[in-house]
Amino acid sequence: MDQITGKANTRLLVGILIGLAVMVAVMAVVRLDVIGRKGNGLGKGFKYDIEELTRVDPALIVYEESADAIETGLAATHGIAVDSKGFIYVAADRAVRIFSDRGVILGEIELAEPAGCLTVSTDGNLFVGFKDHVEIYDAQGQRQASWDSLGTNALLTSIAAQGDDVFVADAGNRVVIRYDVSGNVLGHIGKKDSFRNVPGFVIPSPYFDLVVSRDGLLRVVNPGRRRVEAYTFEGDIEFWWGVSSVDIEGFCGCCNPVNIAVLPDGGYVTCEKGLVRVKVYDSEGQFAGVVAGPSQLVREGECRVCDLPEECQAGGFDVAVDAAGRVFVLDTIRNNVRIFTKIEGR
Amino acid sequence: MGEDNKTINRRCFLRDSLWGASLVGLGMVAGAAARKHKKTDLIWQIDPYLCTSCTNCATYCVLEESAVKCVQVYAICGYCDFCPGYFELGASVLEPGAENELCPTGAITRTFVEEPYYEYTIDESLCIGCAKCVKGCAAFGNGSLFLQVRHDRCLNCNECAIAMACPSGAFKRVPADQPYLLKGESHA
Repeated sequence: MDQITGKANTRLLVGILIGLAVMVAVMAVVRLDVIGRKGNGLGKGFKYDIEELTRVDPALIVYEESADAIETGLAATHGIAVDSKGFIYVAADRAVRIFSDRGVILGEIELAEPAGCLTVSTDGNLFVGFKDHVEIYDAQGQRQASWDSLGTNALLTSIAAQGDDVFVADAGNRVVIRYDVSGNVLGHIGKKDSFRNVPGFVIPSPYFDLVVSRDGLLRVVNPGRRRVEAYTFEGDIEFWWGVSSVDIEGFCGCCNPVNIAVLPDGGYVTCEKGLVRVKVYDSEGQFAGVVAGPSQLVREGECRVCDLPEECQAGGFDVAVDAAGRVFVLDTIRNNVRIFTKIEGR
Repeated sequence: MGEDNKTINRRCFLRDSLWGASLVGLGMVAGAAARKHKKTDLIWQIDPYLCTSCTNCATYCVLEESAVKCVQVYAICGYCDFCPGYFELGASVLEPGAENELCPTGAITRTFVEEPYYEYTIDESLCIGCAKCVKGCAAFGNGSLFLQVRHDRCLNCNECAIAMACPSGAFKRVPADQPYLLKGESHA
C-alpha cells in the first residue's frame, strides 16, 4: 500500500513539475519581445530629448495665425516672396505659383529646372535663382533674360533686388555676387579678407539668405557663425548681430538662422531649422518676440524634431513679409503658407 | 587483339566526345550557377533614408556589442564648430567633455582643421549604435552621421533580430557585393 502511495506521489510531483515548466515556457514566449514593442532598455542618457527646449514662453509670442494656411499644391517648395501688391510667389521644383493673400491662384510660371529662390523687384519683374544662374520673368510670366552660369560649384539660395542692383547668395561658393539689372557682375561680397576684416561666410548646409535693409545696407546671414552681418554694397562689413545660444534670443545648432525677411519698421523676421522657430528682432538686432514656435510650426500638438532624413532636410522654412507687416511662413514640409499677424498691444 | 582494343572507331570517338562535351557543359552550368549564387548573396543593411534613429539597433542585435555602428560621410559633413551630433544642444562651451558631448559613450572624436572647422570621427570600438548623434545631426545639420550594419561584425542571421524590431522597415537585404547604403553628396 505504501509502495502504491509512493508511486502516486512521484507521479504527482513529476506532473506538477511538467506543468510548471510548461507555464514558465508559455510565460517566456508571451513576454518575449522580438519586435521592439517594449523599447530597447537603454537609459535616459541615450535618448535625444530636446522637448524642454522646444517650449516657448507664451508671453513671448507676439503674433497669431490670422488666416487659413494656403495650400500651394506644389511639391518640394523652396522659397517665398511677396510683392508690393501683396501677391505671394512660391518657388518649387518646376514652377513659380502666384497667389492672392486669400490663397487664390493668380498665375503660374513653368520652369525648366528647380528654382531655389526668388524675389520681385519694385517694377514687378520676377528674379528667379536656379542652381547656378538667374532668370528674369516679367509680370506676364514671359522670360526676359537668363544670366550666365556661375559654374558647377554654384548653389544659389537667395536673391534680392534694390534699384539697379541685384544681390545673389551663392552657398556653393560662399559668396554674395552683386549684379546690375542687366546681369553684369559688379563685385563679390563676403570673401574672407583679413585686410578688410571680412571673416568669410561659414555655410555648412545649403541655407544662405540675404536681404537689403531699409538703412541701405545688405544683411547677410552667416549661418555657421549664427549671426546676421551688415555689408555695404561695396563689400565692407559694418557690424553684425546674433548670438549662438539655444535660448529663445539666440540661434542654435550648427547653422542658423536659415532665412530672414525685413519688416516695414526696419526690424527682421528670422526662421530657424532644427528647432523650427520664427522670431522677430528689431532694427538693431535685439530680440523682440516670437512669431511661432516649434509646437505651432512643426506638427500640431507635438514638440518634436524630425524623424526621417527627408523631413529633416526639408525643414528649412522660408519667410516673407508684406507691406502691412504680416509674416508669411513657407512650410517646406507640408508645402503650404502660414500667415501670421501681430497681436495688437504686444 | 590488343592492338584492336586501342583502335578508335567512329562509335567510340562519338561516345567519348559526347561524354567530354557533357562534362564541359555540366562544368559550365555549375560555374554559372555558382557565379549567379555568389552574385545574389544577400546581406542585411540599413537604408539611411528610412531610419528614424529609434535606438533599437543598440540592443536588439544578437551580438553583445551591436553590429550596427554610426558612420560619417565626410563629403556631406559641414565640419561645423558646433556639431549638433557631437555637442549637446544646450552646451555652454564648445569644448570636449562629458558635460558638453552628446554621445553617451564618447565615441566621437573632434579634431581642429582650421578656424572655424572641425572634423568628427567615429571610434567604432566605443560606438554602440544608439543613434543619438544621428538624430542631432539629421535635425540640425546635414545628416552626414547615420547608422550602417558593419559587415566585419554582422553574423548575417537569417532572421535578423534588429530587422524584426525596426519600426520603420529600414532594414533591407542588399547584394553582398554592394554591402553599404551610403548617402550621396547630393543629400546635403
